[in-house]
Amino acid sequence: MAKKTRIKAKLKKGIVTVKALASHAMLSYQEAERAKKEVNFITYIVAKVNGKIVYELSSSQFLSKNPYMKFQFRGAEKGDKIELTWTDLKGVTQVSSAKIK
Amino acid sequence: MNRRNFLSLGLGALAVSMAPSTLSAINFRDTKPKAWTATKVDEAINEIFGSSKLSEGKIKLKAPDIAENGAVIPVTVSTKLNAKTVAIFQDANPETAVAVFTVPENGIIDYSVRIKMAKTGTVTVVADVDGKLVSASKLVKVTIGGCGG
Repeated sequence: MAKKTRIKAKLKKGIVTVKALASHAMLSYQEAERAKKEVNFITYIVAKVNGKIVYELSSSQFLSKNPYMKFQFRGAEKGDKIELTWTDLKGVTQVSSAKIK
Repeated sequence: MNRRNFLSLGLGALAVSMAPSTLSAINFRDTKPKAWTATKVDEAINEIFGSSKLSEGKIKLKAPDIAENGAVIPVTVSTKLNAKTVAIFQDANPETAVAVFTVPENGIIDYSVRIKMAKTGTVTVVADVDGKLVSASKLVKVTIGGCGG
């Protein structure tokens, strides 16, 4: 099983900046053919704080391997938990969480 | 079923799913499956936003002029406009759609991702601001040799 997504979330002046690094091969159709592996990539990423969506991304195979994301949002407190979920083409989902610092 | 029917069907379904709560999650993979197989930027934009009429606006796209490694190209899109949806496209790969962001209520549009490009191409970002499509694009040179030339 793939490694958990690494998440760093920092609160500064009311704005939370999140940097996340998901662990995924992100094989596009071309690459998979060349490597003789199955096509698989993350298709949907969503991040939530207190049950509210703060980040939502539908993606294609052209995100880089081990996709990195940076995003910002308002309306969260220190110590709140951010939960990041991704789903890939095979329907595998993975949930990772971190505390906002 | 022809194309026109398909589109109106999709819009109808979207309207229904949006009705109970505007906060509900939208997975564009499910709602707009055609956009991900479109081979032209115009087509993909049309599939996602329902129109491909773009206008220049206050949206910033940050990408390198020359990318030595086409597998990892950092792209940042930011705007202060009140956009609902932001999407990234490029024209170097077989399909053009890269990512579609749905901006939540408390979201700040300052998104960075890393994308892959097979060769030199143009990266385009499009934001939906109150039904108007604001876009920016930039040419990124990919030099896979790694000499940075």
